[in-house]
Amino acid sequence: MTHYHPSIETLTDYAAGALPLSHSLCVSTHLEHCPECQQQVKKLEMLGAQLFEQNRMPPQELRHLKDQFFARLEQQDTSADTSLTTKTVERIEDNGYQIPKSLRQFITKGYDDLTWMHLSPSFKIATLHNEEGGAQIALTRVKAGAHMPTHTHTGDEITLVLEGAFSDETGIYRQGDFISRDARHKHKPIVTKDAECICLTVLDAPIEFTGWFTRLLNPILRRYHPHTSL
Amino acid sequence: MESATKIEPDKQRVQDMFAIAEQRDQVALARLFDHYAPKIRSFCLAAQPGANLMADDIAQEVMIRIWNKAHTYKPEAASLNTWVFTIARNARIDYLRKNSRYQSDIDPEYLWQNIIDENSDPFQDAQQKRDQQMIQQSLKKLPVDQRQVLSKVYLEGKTHKEAAEELSLPLGTIKSRVRLALQKLTIYVKR
Repeated sequence: MTHYHPSIETLTDYAAGALPLSHSLCVSTHLEHCPECQQQVKKLEMLGAQLFEQNRMPPQELRHLKDQFFARLEQQDTSADTSLTTKTVERIEDNGYQIPKSLRQFITKGYDDLTWMHLSPSFKIATLHNEEGGAQIALTRVKAGAHMPTHTHTGDEITLVLEGAFSDETGIYRQGDFISRDARHKHKPIVTKDAECICLTVLDAPIEFTGWFTRLLNPILRRYHPHTSL
Repeated sequence: MESATKIEPDKQRVQDMFAIAEQRDQVALARLFDHYAPKIRSFCLAAQPGANLMADDIAQEVMIRIWNKAHTYKPEAASLNTWVFTIARNARIDYLRKNSRYQSDIDPEYLWQNIIDENSDPFQDAQQKRDQQMIQQSLKKLPVDQRQVLSKVYLEGKTHKEAAEELSLPLGTIKSRVRLALQKLTIYVKR
């Protein structure tokens, strides 16, 4: 049961297709855990369909387009593979973990097969993808009971708990929880003692460590996040 | 007497979908093309005014997807309009991510595929119909300013932030308009 959900604005932008894809990735992963938000998105899509259907438009002459379309269809249907099957993605299991469907584009085997960069003995990070627009999509993996160094964000950050749980000054976050933080936020998360914690994070700009020693990590992280100019 | 035998256009289109799925009926597809292609084009032109080639391309792409995926359409899970809207939305995202300044390598196919039709039972189907009617009826009564913001988000594909900038209104005003509208449509209930 998840307790932290995307805001209604975020769900609306997602259902409308207006949300950046990097953020949609987090919403989609949340939906896999949250029937409540699934229902809401369904209704938001119904609304979209109404607006789509009622959209007033000038009269259009589409005879030519229609001919073109049927010619294209002909071509498709005579080519060797008509492939009526749509892309279906099954969940895969990895040491008892289930990789969300939404992440299967980036994780084809399991969490262990990713390239992890150790930032401390108990904390590592694997970059899944860097968007051309600058967003970084990554997984963080923290050992049970460990804490992440204090950090602030230079941009907005979305965190989605995939496995385990962590807490900070404002609450405790469990599987499926969706946490959105803006640039002003400074926090120090601690992972619960029972299990390691794996999170999906989407950063619009890299995090900055503010601790005395861990500040040394900043240039390294920036190197792994090449799209920002700091 | 004539009106008694005349079938409602919405129901006719659902029958056309079955004819496409089961008999690969191109006449039925042509009817759906006449109805949906102009709507898909307008939907694209709302996001990219003047981009007629893009609109033509996406309209064709969506109609091809309708033809290819017809067998996966389940009327009890979603109305045909909703189904077509989601296909058009995804096709538009796909086109824009490949062809515009918002380039992205994230494949939208993975992000919207698992929401519809997983848990279908008679109780939920009935609820779905009620939701649909409720949204349809309350949308007609919505004040112009609220409807305008919804159109910006859904048809023009703008985020709340972008809508605020374009209308020169504070983000808070946009948010509250959308929330008010969604409350009236009974989509949003304060948690």
